[in-house]
Amino acid sequence: MNSSLIEIKDFTMRFGSTTVIDKLSFDVKRGETFGLLGSNGSGKTTTIRALLGIYQPTSGSLTIDGAPYRVDGGVKLGYLPEERGLYKKESVIDVMVYFGQLKGLSRVEAHDWSLKYLRRVELEDKATTRLDKLSGGQQQKVQLGITIMNDPELLILDEPTKGFDPVNRRLLMTIIEEHQKAGATVIFVTHQMEEVERLCDRIILLKDGNARAYGTIKAVRKEFNGASLDDIFIKVYGQHQQEEIA
Amino acid sequence: MHNLGTVFRFEVVRTLKKKSFWIAALAFPIAISAIFAIIYLSNKTTDEAANNTKNQQFSLAVTDESGIIKPGVLKQFKATAVTDKQANIDNVTNGQLDAYFYYPKDLSKDRVEVYSKDVGLFNNGRYQGVSEAILQASIAGTVSPTTTAILKNEVKYNSVSYKDGQQYDGFKQLIAPGIFLVLFYILMAFFGNQMLTSTTEEKENRVIEMILTTIEARTLVIGKILSLIVLAGVQIVTILVPIVAAYLLFGSKLDLPNIDLTNIPLDGVRIGIGALIFVASFMLFTGLLVAIGAATPTAKEAGGFFGIVMTLIFGPLYAVTLFVSAPDSTLVRFLSLFPFTAPIPLMLRNAVGNLTPWETITGIVLLSVSAVIVLAIAVRLFRFGALEYSRRLSVREIFSRRT
Repeated sequence: MNSSLIEIKDFTMRFGSTTVIDKLSFDVKRGETFGLLGSNGSGKTTTIRALLGIYQPTSGSLTIDGAPYRVDGGVKLGYLPEERGLYKKESVIDVMVYFGQLKGLSRVEAHDWSLKYLRRVELEDKATTRLDKLSGGQQQKVQLGITIMNDPELLILDEPTKGFDPVNRRLLMTIIEEHQKAGATVIFVTHQMEEVERLCDRIILLKDGNARAYGTIKAVRKEFNGASLDDIFIKVYGQHQQEEIA
Repeated sequence: MHNLGTVFRFEVVRTLKKKSFWIAALAFPIAISAIFAIIYLSNKTTDEAANNTKNQQFSLAVTDESGIIKPGVLKQFKATAVTDKQANIDNVTNGQLDAYFYYPKDLSKDRVEVYSKDVGLFNNGRYQGVSEAILQASIAGTVSPTTTAILKNEVKYNSVSYKDGQQYDGFKQLIAPGIFLVLFYILMAFFGNQMLTSTTEEKENRVIEMILTTIEARTLVIGKILSLIVLAGVQIVTILVPIVAAYLLFGSKLDLPNIDLTNIPLDGVRIGIGALIFVASFMLFTGLLVAIGAATPTAKEAGGFFGIVMTLIFGPLYAVTLFVSAPDSTLVRFLSLFPFTAPIPLMLRNAVGNLTPWETITGIVLLSVSAVIVLAIAVRLFRFGALEYSRRLSVREIFSRRT
């Protein structure tokens, strides 16, 4: 079995005349936690969307377990997109069961799993409440539950802490750690460097659709003379800003 | 079509749980019931008022210069024969007399004059009715009942037409294939807006990326369309059951036409053609509405296009007489074969029976091909428009993006 779960080779993405990603190549090993880093507009989300078949790449190949991602394919995916929401006029349990079924669980399995999760995050009494009647933080908990409800082998979290309150941030970190321990592959898309340093095995730092740093955190820091990831980020993007000013 | 059943079930169940669905479904039969009730009460009140008027006694004086009015008839109506016209008009004016009728010498040229005391806007007409009844009763004995019936246009007719050696009733022939036209009208009128906004919810709620990584866009769109068809069926049943029940229970009391459903001709070919046109038309406009919804960022913005689509569908109804009287005209042919205006003309002309075989085949093929193309575009739009949360896709973008 190939040690890489995800392989991206010469991936190029253009929107009209604008090249967003230019011949990007990297891989993500099975069972590792991988940080996909970069500032807004660097191409992180575009790469994930292309990997998951939401966008079709202009050229190059993006595979999961050796093949382009298919919704009915073999890899169990948990995806928390950057732009996220739920069917707000439906009840918590109805939406969770719906997504559970879409992810391959039976109705009973999805229902039981949902109730168990809601108990865990202290929302059991809200199971039949409409989502738009929940607080923002409660909705985030439901969203997280839906992301992990099929016990994913691959967990992709795009800016997962965006908008999260401290309670949910802690919950998210716990969930990531649980999945790490269970052997899941985790892709963490973010520009929050402290979380990356704590959680990730390897990273890639994107700027203008190109890789500016790639490897284990240790190797990347060594390449930048032992600087912290924060400093590396500032250095890479600082150069860019200085170039723009010049 | 992985997960099609899940999408279908979710969409159907959640819509059936909505109060707004049942309010919309029940609003029409409730409105119809209310109209029936008003008609019934109105008829009842009018009948009662007519009976009261008929039975009411009032003082009446009559001057007859025509020589037609018979004394026996005047007696029957408890009227007094008088000669002084002005004096009796004065009596009515000052309230001493309820009514005074003046029959002129030449009834074919001059008017009968009716003077009466005011008894309300709707009851004043009764005096003219009495004056007519006096005249009719006076000549009834001088002509035969047949002549009376002819002159009063009371002769009953029984028409039988033949076509291709068979008895043919054009109106009854129209009923079975015409049902598809009614069905299409109801579906579009009641469900058009829901179709239009069916795909905007995922965008407005930012749920689209999670959806597109669990099911194919095509599966979601088809699942939604199938659910809409079933929901439309539920709504039609909800509308029809009370109407049919009201007709069966109160039809006779409402003076509604007595429709004999037992001998409606069932022309299999025309019913089959009607069904094909209906299905192709429904798919075409469902695809069109879904495509518009997919290309626009919000339900509100999508709603702006609803009027345009409804005009395309129902605009041809303004030329309805043309479809019957001039089926060979260029306008009728154009409206019948241009896919976006074709449903109503094709279904109507099929029901009437003036659709030629080549128009039938061409019309169904054009509608079906258009439906497939529009549905494919709708799925494409949904995929590419899905992530455009705040702006509308341009036509150029829709067709230039790679699949």
